[in-house]
Amino acid sequence: MIAKAILLTLLASASLHAEDAEALFVRRVWPLFQEKCLACHGNDEKKIKGGYDMRTQESAMKGGESEKKSIIPGRPEDSPLYLASTRQHTDDWEPMPPKEADKLYAEQLGWIKTWIAGGAPWPDENKRSTIAKANAEKWSAEDGIVVKTSGALSPEWASRRYKPEGLWAYQPVKKPVVPAGVHPIDALLAVKAPAPATDARTFIRRATFDLTGLPPTPEEITAFEKEYSQDQAPSIQHLIDRLLDSPHYGERMARHWLDVTRYADSSGFANDYERGNAWRYRDYVVRSFSADKPYDQFIKEQIAGDETLVGDAGTPASRSGLIAGRSARITPNSELLIATGFLRMGPWELTGMEVAKVARQRFLDDVTNSVGETFLGHSLQCARCHDHKFDPVPTHDYYSIQACFGTTQLVERPAPFLPVENTTGFEEKKYLEARQTEHMAMLARLDDKMLANAVKWYADKNIDRSAWDKAVTSARAFIAGGGKMKKGRSFTGVFETARAALQKQNIPEDQYPPKLVGFEPEDYGNERVARKGLERLKWELERYEAFAFSVYDGRTPQVVSVYQPIRIPQDRMTMGELEQTAILGGGDPFSPTRPVKPGALSVLGSVEFPDAIEGRRTALADWIASKDNPLTTRVIVNRLWLWHFGQAIAGNPNNFGSTGKKPTHPELLDWLAATLVEKKWSIKELHRIIMTSAAYQRSSALKEDSTLSHDEAEKSYAVFKPRRLMAEEMRDAMLSITGELNPTLGGIPNRPEINIEVAMQPRQVMGTFAAAWVPNAQPSQRHRRSLYALKIRGVRDPFMEVFNEPAPDFSCEAREVSTVTPQVFSLFNGQASYDRALALAHRVLKEKTPDAITRIFQLTYGRAPSADEKTACTAHWQAMEKKQSGRTFTKSSPPLAVKRDAVEENTGEKFSFQEKLPAYADFVPDLQPADVDAHTRALADVCLVLLNSNEFAYLY
Amino acid sequence: MNTPFFPCAGSRALHAPTRREFVYGLGASLGSVALTSLLAAESQGPLAPKAQQVPAKAKRCIFLMMEGGPSHIDTFDPKPMLEKLHLKEFVREGKQKSAMESGKRYYVKSPFKFAHHGQSGAWMSEPWKHLSTVADDLCFFRGCQVDSVNHPTAMYQMNCGNRFGGDPAIGAWVTYGLGSVNQDLPGFVVLPEISYPQGGSANWSNGYLPAQFQGTPLRPKGSPILDLEPPTGISADHQRANLDLLAQLNNKHAEAHPWHDELKARMHNYELAFRMQTQVPETLDLSKEDVKTKAMYGIGSDATDAFGRKCLLARKLMEKGVRFVQLYAGTWDSHDYIERAHGNLIHQVDQPIAALIKDLKQRGLLDDTLIVWCGEFGRTPDNGVRGGTAYGRDHNPKAMTIWLAGGGCKAGHTIGSTDDRGMEAVEEVHHVRNLHITLLRLLGLDDNKLTFYHAGRFKQLSQFGGQVIEKLIA
Repeated sequence: MIAKAILLTLLASASLHAEDAEALFVRRVWPLFQEKCLACHGNDEKKIKGGYDMRTQESAMKGGESEKKSIIPGRPEDSPLYLASTRQHTDDWEPMPPKEADKLYAEQLGWIKTWIAGGAPWPDENKRSTIAKANAEKWSAEDGIVVKTSGALSPEWASRRYKPEGLWAYQPVKKPVVPAGVHPIDALLAVKAPAPATDARTFIRRATFDLTGLPPTPEEITAFEKEYSQDQAPSIQHLIDRLLDSPHYGERMARHWLDVTRYADSSGFANDYERGNAWRYRDYVVRSFSADKPYDQFIKEQIAGDETLVGDAGTPASRSGLIAGRSARITPNSELLIATGFLRMGPWELTGMEVAKVARQRFLDDVTNSVGETFLGHSLQCARCHDHKFDPVPTHDYYSIQACFGTTQLVERPAPFLPVENTTGFEEKKYLEARQTEHMAMLARLDDKMLANAVKWYADKNIDRSAWDKAVTSARAFIAGGGKMKKGRSFTGVFETARAALQKQNIPEDQYPPKLVGFEPEDYGNERVARKGLERLKWELERYEAFAFSVYDGRTPQVVSVYQPIRIPQDRMTMGELEQTAILGGGDPFSPTRPVKPGALSVLGSVEFPDAIEGRRTALADWIASKDNPLTTRVIVNRLWLWHFGQAIAGNPNNFGSTGKKPTHPELLDWLAATLVEKKWSIKELHRIIMTSAAYQRSSALKEDSTLSHDEAEKSYAVFKPRRLMAEEMRDAMLSITGELNPTLGGIPNRPEINIEVAMQPRQVMGTFAAAWVPNAQPSQRHRRSLYALKIRGVRDPFMEVFNEPAPDFSCEAREVSTVTPQVFSLFNGQASYDRALALAHRVLKEKTPDAITRIFQLTYGRAPSADEKTACTAHWQAMEKKQSGRTFTKSSPPLAVKRDAVEENTGEKFSFQEKLPAYADFVPDLQPADVDAHTRALADVCLVLLNSNEFAYLY
Repeated sequence: MNTPFFPCAGSRALHAPTRREFVYGLGASLGSVALTSLLAAESQGPLAPKAQQVPAKAKRCIFLMMEGGPSHIDTFDPKPMLEKLHLKEFVREGKQKSAMESGKRYYVKSPFKFAHHGQSGAWMSEPWKHLSTVADDLCFFRGCQVDSVNHPTAMYQMNCGNRFGGDPAIGAWVTYGLGSVNQDLPGFVVLPEISYPQGGSANWSNGYLPAQFQGTPLRPKGSPILDLEPPTGISADHQRANLDLLAQLNNKHAEAHPWHDELKARMHNYELAFRMQTQVPETLDLSKEDVKTKAMYGIGSDATDAFGRKCLLARKLMEKGVRFVQLYAGTWDSHDYIERAHGNLIHQVDQPIAALIKDLKQRGLLDDTLIVWCGEFGRTPDNGVRGGTAYGRDHNPKAMTIWLAGGGCKAGHTIGSTDDRGMEAVEEVHHVRNLHITLLRLLGLDDNKLTFYHAGRFKQLSQFGGQVIEKLIA
């Protein structure tokens, strides 16, 4: 059998028996034509390219527009079909298929060549099927596996074959047996020529950053070094326990998780409205990791928390799945509602300019793909328009998963604050209210102006204005009586009310003043800024309200635009459309084809979920969070591994399909996956296991006599792979070193100082300009961990951005690390770095340590300087003190308003307006150069250098 | 699936950068003696110039992005029928229509007169007083359509090929494909308006391409590149002294970690950044340009000064070897008062653009510089209630006018047409992906070869491939 296979491939030009050539056609050539050629040469009769139709023997032989015979039986080297496929005869024959990415490999070319050489026989469909049946068993043994899935769009796809190695992720997790006496991880890694364990100081820095995202203090380092020297293993255990108990552990893991789930505090797209309650989801994630919430429960809460409420929330309690055997772990209802914020992390909005159904479909596509990538390691979007090209994921499965969300509706839902939530700082609301007042006042001024202009308009047109005057009088009375105003958050003007009244009376349009009558360019601009500003504030003010950024089950309401937070409707089960999920032709919501029921990935076994309005997501979550789902457990342990080692076992944590990198150590991956379940899905237990391995404790430097290249050593875990600090770690570490870090957990997003030009950068959002970025008033509010900084999709902190913080549009499976020049501008020239350097110098001098340079080294690097380092730094300090002595400073006061220059949309004329920045009124700046002497400023130069140095930036 | 060309896949891919990728320009200028050892290693960096994939005239591109959606009906595609239909009311409804498009509508005639210009007889509206003098250098295309009816998604599609953002912009693709001639400057430069467009900097994103190909916005106000300069009062020798100490500490650290390549790249970047502090402002300085040139671009006149500066700077950047410059002018979103709004906007860009074309021509650069003028969509022949008396237009993804100049385009021709009201393209109709493919082809790139492996498949600007619009090519 094997000999035959080799024969088929090797005998490229030799003649074959007729039946062998026929078999080759059925087995190889015809499937190849279907895969690579027929899309343009037959499937769609109207769109046949180059006049060449490959559906039948006759037309395929005949050729196309070239009017040359395309296949000459027995003579592949004279057959244009073959020549074009080789891509070697471009002068005569355009390479086919045209896309480089689709080109045929040598083996595939060999099939065509051999088949033509063998006479290019073309058995008809009946005969093809007879031949296929007769050989089915033999071919399947030779070629790979047919995978059972359901609902494929074509029988060819359903019976396609997969190389077994591409299907590794669907196989049940098999826990390997490991020898006793060796750490299982080390046994399974089986590293050759491993480097020795690293030193205590390097290890504590590594472990502390890994588990908390912060540096160890000099005191912690000294204590650990001492303990380590006395008894190594227990000291490490003790350290790991201490770090896992740290409240900052949850923050660190949340940063990783939110990278995957694309956390942001705004909606993106045209409006980029703030998502006032998103922060509660961010804190939910921190709490979940800190409490070591079992991972299966964590999954279920995020996908279906709202379906498992207990008590009076109006939804049936089907919590058995969640809390079986874990009655102690009942999650409060608010938490369950907050958790489902996960489903809404993608950018989304619905403006009046978009078709509602299209926007709805965007949400459905987003959530389907997000669940796939996050929990199953599958980018499902590939199967939106067609059965997956490489993986056994039929389009049917894509829409089955989507059907689980067919009744999921977006909502900001009442959810009382929990005692564990940080609800401090809400007094900042007053700044938003000041802006609100400002906008209202502007609209009132413009209302007066329009009323005056209206009078003029009537005079100019010489039209009787008695109807108008009457309308104005009653409008004034209506508004004085409260009008349509809701809690002062919208504005109703006399002019508009009066105008609407005349409109209602069916008075011809040219008999009453136009909208915005008599406006100058700046009036248009001001009106828009104020009106839209009020609209935007509704979203921002949501921050302080006890609502969860969440979902509910129900029919899809008819909504044409969303310009304020959404509340749950009373008639959710009866009003609106009950969506019937169907396979969408080309992914187009207006082209439904075959209806599908809620389900999951059929490659893991056929399942069908209940299709009632409620409970679909619970069923999906239970399926995902099952110990028997081989994707779920492998995906999370693979991420954990990546977060510790900087390289994943399976190299694409969001893609376990055949195009993702295969696991380098599949047995290890399975061992970890099985162990997670054994340890009751405890993530902290996994950290303990990983961090107590020799692999994790290894030095970054190669063993002296090693023959490996450094690259090989890193890949094989013979050394520990060093890494640059993440953007957030870099900022947080600087704040920690200077003593400025405010370690408070959670709460409403804070606003650190970012590059002032970016902060004040005018930014267009739908119909207006977004508000400036105004930092919090108090340094302690600004100096929170980077996790808590307000994340607006349209304004990124340039420091974070240049140091590879991912944009929240796509799930980030692993941070990139690039070294680019703007990083230097940001870290070496940026105001924040100067501020940190000054704060560090000030701290150290204030401590009155006998040796400032040594203390700075200890804080920054976790070690004392060498003699020559100390000499160099001391000399620099002295030299810079001379430079610094000559400098004079003027204290700058914060801007209370910013002038905005723009082109006004209605008139195309230049327009400028003042944006008031009330939140700057109470601003307390960080320590300024003017506040300290030249001696301190010069030491700050030394600090700036250390904070820019490689030893600070890299973790070994 | 074969082995990917690039070892990455997944949404934000795990991508182990090669040593070469660490050193990036905003230029990898290597004048300094201390850095000569890097020269050999880095001359083949990611921004090094690369050969065209297919023969083509254009070597570089200036992309004039009229964000907001300029009206074809009031610029280059006259619709006399609207004179007859002016203010005629009708109703548009349907499940596939957005709120903006639906309900009571009025046809709106163009407030501008149109005339033929040049030998080619190109139609242009009255406000194009300067551009009409170079009419024969332009190739008008009236057949383009996009999928999205709202700004950010349409902008993303026009710039990046994908409606949802996050993909590489065309400038990033072109720089990825062709590299850049000048290693001291970014290959892809953006000259935005003071206020960023809807969708923000994702409009010039590198997407999943390496960071080197990201568009670098040169800001019209303040520091052209963020934090290019240290805080006020820090002199160059002050900084030099700090840099020297940094080098000393880093050298010692590198000696202890000789195997760690990234350290050297990061050290190199500090020196490069220091030199750029002087080089970039020099490049951007327009004060030394002669008075006549500045006047030609309208610099110094209130309305045209801002865009005139951008156009002149674009010409300078082209001469310096920058591959792709994108200029923003806006906002053309004239839902109301189109006469005033479009009249002003045309006035602001008309003279600068005409000057740019003439200037490139007289310097012999027009032949191999491709100029593209477009918005994210066109505008409707009708308006909703609020424009009933104010004569504005809404968004229209089904019809627009784009024009090309230079770079091997079919100058002096108008390709495609729209229906008698300008509602929809009816002749030579192409999805924007075909426009992208054509622009790449004009620049010597083949969309099917210009691919990058990401998230499980080879991705390309056109998303799924398409065809070249041959009629746009001379």
